[in-house]
Amino acid sequence: MKKVLLIVVQVILLSLFSLAGNFISKVFYLPISGSIIGLFLLFICLHFKIIKLSWVEIGAGFLLAELLLFFIPSAVGVIQYKSDMIHNGLKFIIIIVLSTLIVMLVTGFSAEFLLRRKERSKQ
Amino acid sequence: MTAGFISFIATVAIYYLSKKIYQKKTWVILSPLLIAPVILVALLSITHTTYKSYSSGGQWLTEILQPATVAFAVPLYKYRHILKKQMAVIALSMTAGVTIAFISSDFIARLTHVSPNVILSMLPRSVTTPIAMAVSINIGGIPAMTAAFVIMTGITGIIIGPLLIKWLPINDKLSKGLLLGMGAHGAGTSKALEIGKEEGAAASLAMVIAAVFTLALAPVLMTFLT
Repeated sequence: MKKVLLIVVQVILLSLFSLAGNFISKVFYLPISGSIIGLFLLFICLHFKIIKLSWVEIGAGFLLAELLLFFIPSAVGVIQYKSDMIHNGLKFIIIIVLSTLIVMLVTGFSAEFLLRRKERSKQ
Repeated sequence: MTAGFISFIATVAIYYLSKKIYQKKTWVILSPLLIAPVILVALLSITHTTYKSYSSGGQWLTEILQPATVAFAVPLYKYRHILKKQMAVIALSMTAGVTIAFISSDFIARLTHVSPNVILSMLPRSVTTPIAMAVSINIGGIPAMTAAFVIMTGITGIIIGPLLIKWLPINDKLSKGLLLGMGAHGAGTSKALEIGKEEGAAASLAMVIAAVFTLALAPVLMTFLT
């Protein structure tokens, strides 16, 4: 029970950061979404020890462990494009699967290549 | 209000149920992001519930994505030494990833003859939903359609990502995490956290960097694509 309360309080604290981020994004007409600004704000606060890691760690751990849950309503939302999906669904799947495959290969192999080169140059 | 409340409870209940099944079987096909929406869509059509009344409750969960995005600061902070130590590797491979995400989507989409605004909606699909939708608006796509493609990318990524890691000589924890976080945003990152702490931290980094780089590079890349 104490853990649940801790999670709730910490999630509220994290929400305050995204609200602050939204506010900053709006006031300065920034193209970056409030939650990403909130992320940087929290990182800065952690870095300068304005906020202790233990104040947000359990709440953040909970949100990240259940991350997929928060995507499910958007996934259900795909039915809004039912006719598009029926007519072009296969094309969409082909494009997305192929492109995701290419993106993953390029990112993974370039990181792997650069890391190995770095290791070799050290030896 | 009641429909919203029932939708909320049903979504959470089905999510936990599918998560339990997934923990026992761990077949990608049973991933909660794949199976739970399928069950929910079936339930909506059986009970003749419109998506609108479902989303009145579902959006409460979508709202939590905001503090959840903020929560990525925690793994970033905990593993900031990796970020510092491998700055060049991360920056280079992420620039490559973001660039190829736009170019490959554009190229393959053109080959399959989908309409131009669908192509534009598809370009930013590798990054987290709010950023993808913002970029979609900027380049002339349909943001709601982009959200659908982002989800499809997430599902695709958590299926093929672990297979690529298993089959190909990608051995470093950093490379594995960057691959998952760049290829499949938050969904990929949750998969990376499942594999290990360092992979998860790398994927969190990748997700955030992909979002920022996509915002920054989209206008530049668009001048080459149109």
